[in-house]
Amino acid sequence: MLPLLSILVLLPAVAALLCLAAGGEKVARGIALLAASLSLLVALAALAGFDAGRGDFQLVQRTAWIPGLGVEWHLGVDGLSILFLPATTLLFLAALIVTGRGLSPAPGLHYACVLLLECATLGIFCALDTLLFFFFWELTLLPLYFLVGLWGLAGSGARAATRYFMLMLGGGVPVLLAFLVLASHAGMAFDLPSLLAATPSRDTQILVFLLFVIGFGVKVPIVPLHTWLPSLALGGPAAVTALVVGMKLGVYGLLRFAIPLAPVAAQDMHWLLAGLGTLGILYGAVATTAQSNLRGVVAYGSISHVGLALLGLASFSAAGLQATVLLLLGFTLATGGSFLLLAGLQRRLGTTDLTALSGIRQSMPRLAGFFLLFGLAGMGMPGTIGFPAEFLIVVTTLQEHSGAALAALFGMIVGAGAFLGPYRSAFFGPLRPGAVAESDDLTPREFAVALVFALLIVVTGLFPGVLLDVLRVSADAWATRLSLTTG
Amino acid sequence: MLNCIVEALALAGTLLPLVVALPLMGALAIGARLVAGVHGDDSEPATAGLARGAGLASLLLLAALSVGSFAATAKGTQAFGEWFAAPGFAVNLSFASDTQSLLLALVVAFLGWVTLVFSTNYLHREAGFHRFFLAMCLFLAGMQLIVLSGNAVLGFIGWELCGLSSWLLIGFSDERPLATGNALFAFLANRIGDAGFLLAIGLAYWWVGSAEWSAIASGSLPETVKARMLALGLVTAALAKSAQLPFTPWIARALEGPTPSSAVFYGAVMVHAGVILLIRIEPLLLQVPDMMIALAFAGLATAVYGWLCGRVQSDVKSALVYATVMQVGLMVAACGFGWFEFAAWHLALHALWRGYQFLMAPSYLLLAPRPASLPPSLTQNVPLYTAVLQGFWLDRLARGLLLRPTLSLGHDMRRLDDRVIDRLLGVPQESHRGLAMSGNGVAGRALTVLSEWLQLVEDRLVLQSGGGAMTRGLRRVGDAIRVLEGLLEEPRYLMLMVMATFAVIL
Repeated sequence: MLPLLSILVLLPAVAALLCLAAGGEKVARGIALLAASLSLLVALAALAGFDAGRGDFQLVQRTAWIPGLGVEWHLGVDGLSILFLPATTLLFLAALIVTGRGLSPAPGLHYACVLLLECATLGIFCALDTLLFFFFWELTLLPLYFLVGLWGLAGSGARAATRYFMLMLGGGVPVLLAFLVLASHAGMAFDLPSLLAATPSRDTQILVFLLFVIGFGVKVPIVPLHTWLPSLALGGPAAVTALVVGMKLGVYGLLRFAIPLAPVAAQDMHWLLAGLGTLGILYGAVATTAQSNLRGVVAYGSISHVGLALLGLASFSAAGLQATVLLLLGFTLATGGSFLLLAGLQRRLGTTDLTALSGIRQSMPRLAGFFLLFGLAGMGMPGTIGFPAEFLIVVTTLQEHSGAALAALFGMIVGAGAFLGPYRSAFFGPLRPGAVAESDDLTPREFAVALVFALLIVVTGLFPGVLLDVLRVSADAWATRLSLTTG
Repeated sequence: MLNCIVEALALAGTLLPLVVALPLMGALAIGARLVAGVHGDDSEPATAGLARGAGLASLLLLAALSVGSFAATAKGTQAFGEWFAAPGFAVNLSFASDTQSLLLALVVAFLGWVTLVFSTNYLHREAGFHRFFLAMCLFLAGMQLIVLSGNAVLGFIGWELCGLSSWLLIGFSDERPLATGNALFAFLANRIGDAGFLLAIGLAYWWVGSAEWSAIASGSLPETVKARMLALGLVTAALAKSAQLPFTPWIARALEGPTPSSAVFYGAVMVHAGVILLIRIEPLLLQVPDMMIALAFAGLATAVYGWLCGRVQSDVKSALVYATVMQVGLMVAACGFGWFEFAAWHLALHALWRGYQFLMAPSYLLLAPRPASLPPSLTQNVPLYTAVLQGFWLDRLARGLLLRPTLSLGHDMRRLDDRVIDRLLGVPQESHRGLAMSGNGVAGRALTVLSEWLQLVEDRLVLQSGGGAMTRGLRRVGDAIRVLEGLLEEPRYLMLMVMATFAVIL
């Protein structure tokens, strides 16, 4: 059988080297697009080869990598991670497609960085060895630092890059420490199955869980460690921002490592996750109302959404977990899609500041329509993937953390206003003369990307069972394991 | 022959979901046309045809079903499988097929179809022709879901679709900020009701174990407290959607849309959704008498409010909408008194009559004489007159108590981000004082202080030209050691050392 996951992770890395070697923009872009398309196909092949009826890790590849440290090249997926592979590859392909020509400086380096980021992101979803995971986790920083610093907005881009890099580097330390503590309790084994089999004491678990919450929390981001996200969204190149904000790696870290590896502590401290989630929902929703830039609006809206995802995790039930993963996938489509559209808007108008926008709906009706659909998906409108996810999270949370669920309902009201208000002032109103009036609607390429995202949002919204079925068995296993540990 | 008809009707019973699906497919088809970029006069008939076709097909189907429902023996709820499910939370595709629901749906479908036919000419050559029919189809699907839903989740979806299409149509002429502002106001006011609805669904799954209307309304909740919480969520939703007090102000702002949509939304159909919901949860309400009393009060208060405010309106649509609010208030009050059957009849008749009136609204300017003068009892009571003219300041209350605090909280949070959190975490800034690196935030500052101190130590002790304090000290120590070494090399001292060592060992 083909080593699908290894191909998937290594393909972008090899292509990145080729891009660097190619140098010229046209060739580099061609290589990048080809590699991203192939990655999508490989991810779909992996999905096709995946048996949703089994709850264990599948498509596993395991070879020694650094024998001295006991680090293995150990890849595999279960129902909780398999769906992220096509979502990731699709988002990267889309981001590459909408990235405009005429990059300066060093277009080859740009495409190499994007592909390296894709390799690292896919690695995070596939890695079953904790040190390998950590390697990919830190590997995301380097390409992002250059992408945001070199091709972001002059000045604010470099600052946002430095801030992101420092914070994430700081967040990496607790994660690594947690892995080391866990490994020391499992005979210095770093692979996830062995760690899952070990049962460290309650105190150790609490230490590990707190380390994970801080470390992954920076990436989630939890309030008050969230300010890197808006600054990145405002300073970074918009298409790259879609990759950062659209992939919620922090929540994945929590659901894959933090909770299963410290099950007792996680359930003892359910209030911590629920509290952070509630804070995120309310803070994100209310703070969105004060944003003066569309990218800030989407960024703060996403802080509110990850709060909802934390709340879904905090119920520690199979239903809550399914809903959380569904929310994350929908989030990749909706927020990623929004940022890709904003990238187009930024390129046309040179700004996404609300004061400079009015009446976009009249000159760019398609862009406005798609942006509205993505925003409605974020609001949990029925008919989009947002609805089953947010509905299930609210309904499950109500039983576990009633107060937090009420906060989520309040966030639902404020969040609607916080999106539709800025939407109204940017897209409705009298057509603003100048750049807004003279700009063209979506190019065929952008249109195709937006259409694919919109169709996926609507189809999965009408038939969420397709996704829930893939998640079901693994989510059940996850929740059963948790309930067993508390006896 | 008769048997054949009965069999055909029974077959039609399995097509019930199509009543909802047809308008939805119409909406999707028009949406696809919009995405494909249709425009111009030639494209209008196809769009209108799609919407009208869907509307008519669903109307005819309903007519057949209603006739069939008199003959059919099986009544109540029909299940068509499961939509999606997570452990413990199954959402079924179940539809109500009792005679009352079907007849109400028939009224809705009829009004919807008539409005679609009317709009085809009314909106000819309007810029948003296609958008209008898209929103109308969405609305029809949503409204039929509210009427025909067999469980609360489907009802909630209908609720949301109605809210969305209402937002789209109030803000139809989107170049006018007033219209889009009112659309947002109406949407948010309704969203409060949506939150109540969702809360009730969550509670139903928790306490009843199912969101089927039959289970919720069966009175299977022995505890009054739980029944009251459940009813509270649904009553909030009903009051918000039916523009009852304290939610009434949104409906006065909702008339910015094209007249046909105003007719079907706020005159004839959607405004009754709350009453339909109340009728559906009749057994639950009967369990909590205090909620019934509250309903009666809210309904009567709204009726008085609508009557008073309706007096002073200066345009046809506003006067009509307040009259509608008043009638709906009476229906809600009837529900509060327990006359659910009566409310249902009132609803159906009012819907038909008011729909006609709203569609005629533009012609009233020609048909009607000057509006009747105000009763002197109202004009002479200045405080009351002012209050009525201002709509009892409910609008401003909502702004002052809900909107403005939220917005200023948002600004506070932004300031918090900028001034506190960012300063704590550190914001990379231009390097100052000519240093290669500068620290920001608490951690950065601490690091800077530490590094400056280390720098100081290095400067003073090591790097000062001509040797820092440390270098000088070291040199002195070195000199001393050299002297010591010189002395140690002398044999006598060497011998002394060896002896001393032996002394210590022994």
